[in-house]
Amino acid sequence: MTALARTMSNPLRRAEVLTAYLFLSPTLIGFVVFIVGPVIAAVVLSTYNWNMINPAEPAGLNNYKQLLSDPRLGSIYLTTFKIAVSTVLLKLFLGLIIAVLLDTKIHNWLRTFFRLSFFFPFVVSATAVALIWSFLLNKDLGMVNWFLGLVGIQRIPWLNSSTWSPLAIIITDVWKDLGFYVVVFVGGLQTISGDLYEAAEVDGSNRFQRFLYITLPLLTPTILFLSVIGLINAVQIFAQPWVLTMGGPGDATRTVVMYIFEQGFRFFNMGYASTVALSLFVVLFGLTILQFAFSRRWVFYQ
Amino acid sequence: MSADTTIRSAEDVLPKVARRPVRVHWDAILTVILLLWGSAIMIAPFAWIMQVAFSSAARAYQMPPQFFPSSITLQNFANVFQDVPYLNFIRNSFFVAAAITVGQLITCPMAAYPFARLRFPGKNVLFIVLLATLMIPVQVTIVPLFIFMRQTGLYNTHWSIILPALISPFGVFLLRQYFMTIPTELEDAARIDGASYITIFWRIIVPLSMPAMMTLGIITFVFWWNEYFTPLIMLHDPELQVLPVGLTLLQGRYSAGAVGNVAAGVTMAVIPILIVFLLLQRNIIKSIASTGLKG
Repeated sequence: MTALARTMSNPLRRAEVLTAYLFLSPTLIGFVVFIVGPVIAAVVLSTYNWNMINPAEPAGLNNYKQLLSDPRLGSIYLTTFKIAVSTVLLKLFLGLIIAVLLDTKIHNWLRTFFRLSFFFPFVVSATAVALIWSFLLNKDLGMVNWFLGLVGIQRIPWLNSSTWSPLAIIITDVWKDLGFYVVVFVGGLQTISGDLYEAAEVDGSNRFQRFLYITLPLLTPTILFLSVIGLINAVQIFAQPWVLTMGGPGDATRTVVMYIFEQGFRFFNMGYASTVALSLFVVLFGLTILQFAFSRRWVFYQ
Repeated sequence: MSADTTIRSAEDVLPKVARRPVRVHWDAILTVILLLWGSAIMIAPFAWIMQVAFSSAARAYQMPPQFFPSSITLQNFANVFQDVPYLNFIRNSFFVAAAITVGQLITCPMAAYPFARLRFPGKNVLFIVLLATLMIPVQVTIVPLFIFMRQTGLYNTHWSIILPALISPFGVFLLRQYFMTIPTELEDAARIDGASYITIFWRIIVPLSMPAMMTLGIITFVFWWNEYFTPLIMLHDPELQVLPVGLTLLQGRYSAGAVGNVAAGVTMAVIPILIVFLLLQRNIIKSIASTGLKG
């Protein structure tokens, strides 16, 4: 308090502090009203039952008990993880291959063409992408099954079988996001010094060895970055399953965010929706901590 | 012994250099063929949907799949404009995304400047609290925000989307990191000449940070132009709806038949993005790749 008083009695320091708060005020006001306030409200709401028509009833920890005993929620989390982990692994794998191919000696205009064609779906809205793929994956009339038919594969019911519909979501999502992974990997590859490859070439290594012992270890920080933000985003997947399958058949493609949406804005269980949302926050936070903790074992910093 | 190996390896190297162009050439051809297949898989769905949009209904599901229309009809587009307020969707999307982008380009640099340059009580605590909220998913705050918007009468107006998005802890962090890289000499000189903090911010920091501001502007606009979750919750009237939600309204009405109408709607949504993307591709790709937009 005295330190603050001393600061404020010095006119130069006072101008600095006042300017700081003046500049910060729009962000701070918005931050309190639209982030901190709602987060606190969500915690409070989770201890109430409220459908926005009748007055809210205190529910104690009932919503949390329901959370732990909700048979649907467990399977929905499992489905979400299955889809999220598969998409992230596929994007990492395919993204790395394509980036390595792009990083070779090819014409500049060809490289630009490839980069643009891979990246473009990433800037298109998820709903437009999902609508396109809902036609492509149609069982009887879709292009995907027609091409599969050329190699003798029978028509697959992509969108209305609980076995195949998660795969339909995965394909659509990987196709949309792949370009982002490619571009980030290409950026990572460009930071690797050419000297290392030359030295390894002089030592008689082949291409595959150079990839395994130089490229891959030096890309591990990039892989960590992509898997952390990739998993956070993938667990929150909503638009693709919402447009492609509406979560069905049954709960086969229902993700946690879809469940929150339905609880909150279809059934108006505001308390339970907040509780599930808070559980999602805890899960995302835990996943991120886990990834960083594990990263010490496999990420190589130069 | 050592002299011996040196000579032998030198002999090995010489023929290798002579052989190399041919081998690399084959590698390059294989690489290009693989990449061409890859980009065909990325482009074909767009080509097909545009072909459907410009064709009569009979051609939509013709097999083998067609990627170019044989005869052009604009009937599907006319149907879209007749059945949904498509121009409204575009106008609404543009208004929401532009308002949020402008807002963040004002609030974020203003907040980033004190964090990067000024000394004030509570600086570190505030910064850490701001960063910590980056981990909170939008689903946690959306239920209370929905209730808030219902009670303030802002529900079903564009402001229910715009107001909460006018500030961005992520944007503040992004710009603060950039401001930290600007050398302080210019500011020191300006201080000696008696410039105020506001002058320094406006005349030195902002002009020197245009690349970072551009990055923030691009990712903010792209994100909100494509955003689906928030408008789906906050808006009710079709006339007020944004494009990503509006497109699904087409699907709702025609899930039974008129593929062409959905295709026309999607085509009109994709073509403007394609044009802007081709014009600004370098900036867009660099901005998104350097910051990890999405979410």
